[in-house]
Amino acid sequence: MKKKGFLLLMFAAFVLVLAACTTSTGDDGSSEEESSGSDSDTEATEETDSGDEKVLRMNNGEEPTSLNPPIGFDSVSWTVLNNLMEGLTRLGKDDMPQPAMAEDWDVSDDGKTYTFHLREDANWSNGDPVTAEDFVYAWKQLLDPETGSSAAFLGYFIEGGEAFNAGDGSADDVAVEAIDEKTFEVTLTAPTGFFLHVLTNPAFFPVNKEVAEENPEWYSEADSFVSNGPFKLTSWTHDQELVFARNEEYWDSDTVNLDKVHWAMVNDVNTEYQMFESDELDMTEIPSDLADQLIDGDNVVIEEQAGLYFYRFNVTEEPFQNKKIRKAFALATNQEDIVDYVTKNKEKAAKAFVSPGFTTPSGDDFREANGELVNFDPEKAKQLLEEGMEEEGYDELPPVTLTYNTDEQHKAIAETMQNMYSENLGVDVELANTEWNVFLEDQKSLNMQFSRSSFIFDYGDPINFLESFITDASMNRTGWSNEEYDELMAQAKQETDEEKRWELMSEAEKVLADEMPFFPIHYYNQVYIYKDNVKDVVRHPVGYLELKWTDIE
Amino acid sequence: MLGYILKRFAVMVVTLWIIITLTFVLMVTLPGSPLNEERTTNETVQANLEAHYNLDEPYYIQYLLYIKSIVTFDFGPSIKQPTETVNDLLGRGFPISFELGMATIIVAVISGIILGIFAALKHNGIIDYLAMTIAVLGISIPNFVLATLLIQTLAVYWNILPAATWSSPVHMIMPTIALATGPMAIIARLTRSTMLEVLTQDYIKMARAKGLKPWKIIIKHALKNALMPVVTIMGTLLAGILTGTFVIEQIFGIPGMGKYFVESINQRDYPVIMGTTVFYSAFLIVMLFLVDIAYGFLDPRIKLHTKGGD
Repeated sequence: MKKKGFLLLMFAAFVLVLAACTTSTGDDGSSEEESSGSDSDTEATEETDSGDEKVLRMNNGEEPTSLNPPIGFDSVSWTVLNNLMEGLTRLGKDDMPQPAMAEDWDVSDDGKTYTFHLREDANWSNGDPVTAEDFVYAWKQLLDPETGSSAAFLGYFIEGGEAFNAGDGSADDVAVEAIDEKTFEVTLTAPTGFFLHVLTNPAFFPVNKEVAEENPEWYSEADSFVSNGPFKLTSWTHDQELVFARNEEYWDSDTVNLDKVHWAMVNDVNTEYQMFESDELDMTEIPSDLADQLIDGDNVVIEEQAGLYFYRFNVTEEPFQNKKIRKAFALATNQEDIVDYVTKNKEKAAKAFVSPGFTTPSGDDFREANGELVNFDPEKAKQLLEEGMEEEGYDELPPVTLTYNTDEQHKAIAETMQNMYSENLGVDVELANTEWNVFLEDQKSLNMQFSRSSFIFDYGDPINFLESFITDASMNRTGWSNEEYDELMAQAKQETDEEKRWELMSEAEKVLADEMPFFPIHYYNQVYIYKDNVKDVVRHPVGYLELKWTDIE
Repeated sequence: MLGYILKRFAVMVVTLWIIITLTFVLMVTLPGSPLNEERTTNETVQANLEAHYNLDEPYYIQYLLYIKSIVTFDFGPSIKQPTETVNDLLGRGFPISFELGMATIIVAVISGIILGIFAALKHNGIIDYLAMTIAVLGISIPNFVLATLLIQTLAVYWNILPAATWSSPVHMIMPTIALATGPMAIIARLTRSTMLEVLTQDYIKMARAKGLKPWKIIIKHALKNALMPVVTIMGTLLAGILTGTFVIEQIFGIPGMGKYFVESINQRDYPVIMGTTVFYSAFLIVMLFLVDIAYGFLDPRIKLHTKGGD
């Protein structure tokens, strides 16, 4: 009996091994048969082939952290959410806020009160009308300290928002009000010229109050999810796939071209690229190892992303308490070389702080108007270093350690910089790297002398970035404090005259260049390769992916 | 036997408690916090978040809360994925990792043993060299290299298998091969060397002299003894593979639980760290226990209750 069992097992083993060999050859044959479809992968292509449905296959990288608008504060959540839902305004193809859930609005003379008139035909995917009450409900949830949302600070523009979030005020004191079913009013603490842009952020999307009160977990499964945007969620296999279908209830449904969107969740750029190559995805990012070969390809689309890759000095530690020494290091860094020979991803070298793409009231680009402020100049750098050392009475520069968080790309940039300092300044800096979380902790508590950083805009106004460096701001992380700068920022936040406000911001940026508590390396960009037939995928410099206009031809 | 099992169970609980405590200590001494973000963080917001996850409590309270969560098998919400509980994450990831792991183990054990036996029988012959070359390659090529290679050839170049994701049995083929090659190689080498040893023993010669069929000798008499070292490594192998592997799951976009082991630590997602650690340790301890039992069945000379006693 036992013997037989064992023999059987051995036999089974053989069959299995043989089967393993034949499956691959078998598949080979079958794939040749269907090679007209060019893809062995299931559903998606079959559907495009048969029913002429327009299906876009994308990769979101990861499971969204949360599809509840007030909570999921990251791009894996908001990229998805931005196509399922819609706020009062939505960014147009020109990156400017356009009427969306709100058909139009009135702004009070002091610039603080906004009255939004919601569309009569704005409905949820379950047929309910989108009401002012839905906005009130969502925004109060965002600010409720119980919610524990990390995006809550975006709601501090609203009067009473900060107090409620800090636990000092009540929900009733938050100045958001549903005047009637389709009229929504909000009062701000200060005139905020870019408020309409802030509203495009998914943190300000509405939540269907009725649905949410009945089922507080409405956002965690496809069955209970209600959307008010271009698409609706038809299936969600957690950690695997999201499927969207066109939302017929959407007020602008006629504009939407895609019938379905499939989102894979593959968190590996190499695999993503290989899936694109084997026709399982319609777009891909470029694996950094292949940037060299692929970046000049035909279907590569390079778009700006508002943000800055930069290095911070710790001004409380020697030798960077000295402004001239800080400037010497900044001017000895050749940003052009870094983007041309190290990152090779076609980023723009940053010669100033605020990234390009912000338009001033007079229609100019803020970046162009304020010019280049940090230009590579090894000679001046050397001279500044000497002057600085003299001021401080140094015969020899105190040792400098440059720290980055462990990552190949950051390492390559750091090594290049080390080389530049040795060449241009005759200074040997030491390199150190730490794990990401340790790095952040050290940087925040000013434990590092000279360290890598990055900033990505949350909303479309330079103030978002500039304000981050006032004394003791959480983003400051340099120990730098400057009265003039703080004063300029305070004024800019209260200024009602837009011209003047932008003027104040450009002055503030000049203070940064003069003081140099940190210096710029490059602005960010977004690089994707698309299949030939994919048209009109819109990516904003500030904001999230838009598939509303996307078409497959 | 019952006494032995009870004793083992008690030891298991104590071991788990030590692991939990050590993990907790390591976790809180690790610099950084789950709420660390590079972007602008607001103090009020941070305070709300800390309160939300009990991170503002003193350590001993946090420790007691963890012990409570473990005893009740409710690890609470993940900090980084606030809408999901750790139980959700593990409950969803584990079956997938288990499925892939089982396929891997079956392929690795069967092909490993077969390779090993053939290599031993044709000792120093072509087949032996061939089998051992495969084994050495299997051990020395890291599975992530093999994985990328497989995708590049089978999916991108020939287009006969889907590159990644986890939606049909076909999607299992490449990750299984990538994962199984290493263990297969180890098992093949182990089987070969013990098989060689066993084949020279007197009782095998005796069996031959008696005129038993060669296959019978190998399977019934030799293999049973040659399998002991394979069984020994099975415990750790099973626990390691069945609970998912970070790299392979990431490369193939498989939604298993492997990623939580690594990501939870990088992100300092305390509840998930606890959940994965407890889950893995408990699993490993049970596997080792099963291996001990299996010894008894394979080799009657090993008596469980006297183990360690004399």
